[in-house]
Amino acid sequence: MSAVKDILDIIQETTMKRGAPIPLPIDVVTGWVKDLHIPKGGDTVLYTGQLYQIVPYINRYVRRIESVSTAELKLAKVAGKFLDISMFIGKPSQEEVERQHSIIRNIAKLLMKSGVRFGYLYEDDAYSGVLLHDLGLEDVFVNHARKIYHEFKKYNVKNVITIDPHTTNVLRKVYPEYIENFDLDVTSYIEILAEKEFNNVGSVSKNVVIHDSCIYARSENIIEQPRKLLSRIGITVFEPLRNKALTFCCGGPIEVLFPELSRKVAETRIKELRVIGKEIVVACPICYANLSRVAQKDIEIKDLSYYLTLGLVGEDNED
Amino acid sequence: MKTEELIKNIVKAQENIELQLGLERAVVNFSNAVAKVLDRFPDLVKLAEYVRIVKEKVLTDLDYYIDQTIKNVNATGAYAYFTNDRGSLLKIIDDIVGEERKLIIKAKSMVTEEIMLREYLSEKGHEVYETDLGELLIQIAEEKPMHTIAPAIHLTKERAAQLLRKLGLPVNREMKHEELVLHVRKFLREKFIKADIGISGANAIAADSGTVFLIHNEGNISNVVTLPPVHIVITGVEKIMPTFKDAIYQVMVQSAYAGLYPPTYVNIISGPSSTADIEYHRVYGAHGAKEVYVILFNGGRIDALNNPVLREQLYCIRCGRCQIACPIWGLCGNIWGGRVYGGPMGIGWTAIIEGIENAIPLSWFCLLCDACREVCPVKINIPRIVRFLRTKT
Repeated sequence: MSAVKDILDIIQETTMKRGAPIPLPIDVVTGWVKDLHIPKGGDTVLYTGQLYQIVPYINRYVRRIESVSTAELKLAKVAGKFLDISMFIGKPSQEEVERQHSIIRNIAKLLMKSGVRFGYLYEDDAYSGVLLHDLGLEDVFVNHARKIYHEFKKYNVKNVITIDPHTTNVLRKVYPEYIENFDLDVTSYIEILAEKEFNNVGSVSKNVVIHDSCIYARSENIIEQPRKLLSRIGITVFEPLRNKALTFCCGGPIEVLFPELSRKVAETRIKELRVIGKEIVVACPICYANLSRVAQKDIEIKDLSYYLTLGLVGEDNED
Repeated sequence: MKTEELIKNIVKAQENIELQLGLERAVVNFSNAVAKVLDRFPDLVKLAEYVRIVKEKVLTDLDYYIDQTIKNVNATGAYAYFTNDRGSLLKIIDDIVGEERKLIIKAKSMVTEEIMLREYLSEKGHEVYETDLGELLIQIAEEKPMHTIAPAIHLTKERAAQLLRKLGLPVNREMKHEELVLHVRKFLREKFIKADIGISGANAIAADSGTVFLIHNEGNISNVVTLPPVHIVITGVEKIMPTFKDAIYQVMVQSAYAGLYPPTYVNIISGPSSTADIEYHRVYGAHGAKEVYVILFNGGRIDALNNPVLREQLYCIRCGRCQIACPIWGLCGNIWGGRVYGGPMGIGWTAIIEGIENAIPLSWFCLLCDACREVCPVKINIPRIVRFLRTKT
């Protein structure tokens, strides 16, 4: 178990000390807000859980892991205790970071356009701890979850708007298992938008193939909402062989431990999607990263918010 | 198996073109077959939900149902046993089989894989043949089954021919599938007639009547259970269903979710064959078996009942649909598995029969994508088993 154990140790140590498996610079976490003038705190907040922001770092981490030996990993583990894990990983390009920022900005603008009033926690927009839960680091996870919950309470937050499937699920289904009297109302931005009426809906005449996120489709029953939203703006949604509740994983969740196997799963999925079409819509940063890793040049993968912004916001898309 | 060793085997499996092709075909054909069955017989989905509820009932009161089964198997004129472990099970088998060299034919049974029965009997000097074609190929290849229902999905026609030649069959690589099957039919026909003992598992067993249920498509099992004078049934205690009717439901659901519905054959066996047609005098051993033995096997299952997460795996009816839905299984088959069981269901089963320690490495390859739980007819929360094992690392 040594390699797995090494990676677990690194993740555990870093999260305990620095609040996230890969501690992000504050401008990477909050930099997307720019001139959107989002108030701090409030009844309802947009919570990123840092997942979109962390993805460029995970990409680098995986590339590093793919190329290092176990001995180096051990060294990094020792180093991780004293230094910054980010030094082992290095910095992703500004372009990658900005790409993620533009997705979050698009989501925020969509919510504003739909009339939702919300705040943001800025430097307290912390990591949700979902990876700890998935890796079986239960004690560390529970402590972490309590801390995050306490932050929400400190700001008197009542409603949390999430923007990715993993954070949505861990907050809505997992936190309540561990936190007594958990009373936050957690809703994905996709669910919110699907319920809203929009004026001046633009028509985006495009054909896209939809890749359902496993978590949204199977654990959160977010299946029809993205389809409804896409078709409302004139997009024709094509269905792959395995879709909706029977969707096929992108391979992302094991990329941290077994990058090669993760890549194979992604290849299987891309092969199935590209038979249907070359433009693929995803609603999860992990799906985006892992499918992009193996997608051929003629394939375009875009976040759901990109299309929705084209049709609903009616201003220049930032992506 | 250690994680490192598993990784090595799984990576090697990626380079095995025959395996990759076999898995790819199996995934497509199996998924389509199940989809068609459930589309044509939508009531089976409801039946699966019912089976889950009944299984919960049985496992809550397992001691009672074991007692009932034993009592009612004995009432049919068969002999019932309950055994805790491999050693005591093999002792019972030894007593039934005897020291003298016997010709033994087998139906495919995962429980007999658990106790390595074929290997054991062969070492004892008996002549043993698997009669399910896929399992026969596995026997000759000395490999482990690659899928619960389709054990030899990773072997090509050419490889199958090569293996059958080892048995002395006059076959070659150029022969068509049909010709190969015909040669196997001829070869096994003689074994069926001459066999001293037939050994099978059970797809279900009814506590209220002591009846054993077996489903199959090849027709081999009908021969295994009726032609030899002695028939031995070995089955895990989790296969007990309260009633005859419930047992029928379980085998219906199992065959449906394996994409094999309606099953070509269902054997329903309540004790030895007999006739009373001469002066109403009951004579045992008419055209079927004269002696029937039913052995209920624990093998870690009863311990697992005490583990609230792991016990759910005991609802498993072994259709193998979780394997087909799993992205990782699709890349390496049961190579991602324990000694006997692989894929998503193999994680829980390995923990049950080989201990939690041996299942932990398997858990690390799971994507937690939930596809297994989604397609499971009895909705076993396999991802929860994975998370449980990971916390034990």
